[in-house]
Amino acid sequence: MNPFVVTGLLIALVAFATALGFVYRSGNGRIRGADGRTIIRASDIPGIQLLGARATLLQFSTEVCAPCKPTRTLLGAIADESVDVQHIDVDLTHLPSVASRFNILQTPTTFILDGEGVVRARIGGAPRRADVREALDRILTLEPA
Amino acid sequence: MSNTSHPQIDPRGPRFGAGITAVLLLVSIALSLSGLTTAGFIIFALVTLGFVWGTIAGIQRHPYGVIFKKFVRPRLAPPAEFEDAAPPTFAQGVGLFVTLIGVILFLAHVPLGLPIAAAAAFVAAFLNSVFGYCLGCQIYLLLVRARVLGRASTPAV
Repeated sequence: MNPFVVTGLLIALVAFATALGFVYRSGNGRIRGADGRTIIRASDIPGIQLLGARATLLQFSTEVCAPCKPTRTLLGAIADESVDVQHIDVDLTHLPSVASRFNILQTPTTFILDGEGVVRARIGGAPRRADVREALDRILTLEPA
Repeated sequence: MSNTSHPQIDPRGPRFGAGITAVLLLVSIALSLSGLTTAGFIIFALVTLGFVWGTIAGIQRHPYGVIFKKFVRPRLAPPAEFEDAAPPTFAQGVGLFVTLIGVILFLAHVPLGLPIAAAAAFVAAFLNSVFGYCLGCQIYLLLVRARVLGRASTPAV
């Protein structure tokens, strides 16, 4: 193959990978509103006793997920800032049925639930503090302590 | 401070290694497409062997990790935090899977089999190195959902 063609192909490959990288970066950690119809109960997830009385930060992780640990730290800190807000971290490694049921495609995935267990928002990838705080405040102002 | 059940590593080490891998894969593709298929295969085979080592011995004992520790890390500030060795070790397994397919395609004389496998492995290594993309975060979960990995500990009744 002509060296110019080879070089052109390599440049195209790097450009393609770079474009994918920017797509990944822009979607990662973005908070999305939920349809408000999905309700999660503690009994839906093995090992969970109780959800938060006013809100729950429900995190799904696996052991081979590098951003999951910093996410756990962040969400735990945010939950501690308010009364009756729980952070729960679920290890999906042995729970494929849970992963399928809630259509979880990556870890970390975070669901923000209100006091009734309704999923109000989902975040795929490492969440941003400001996004979680804002979504949580919206839920908490409707459900005073 | 070491935690032997969950070894902790400098997160920049695997990304450095992924960068080296990405460059080697580009070289392999260039050689293969230029007609130097044996040379292209040798480089590709070396990359594959690296993945074998990383998958079995763990990312901490990977040769690139050793190079990083000895030559690159002393020039950098200490890392902001450490990460578990498990995610990058899993990524080595993914790389091994893709490059093994490339090796098999080459030995079976499938035309362009090696460059295509090398291109796929390059995209993964490049995304990991440059954008910090975590392969395990999606692929492992999809494998769990497909019941290939992490089978449920309680059998269905």
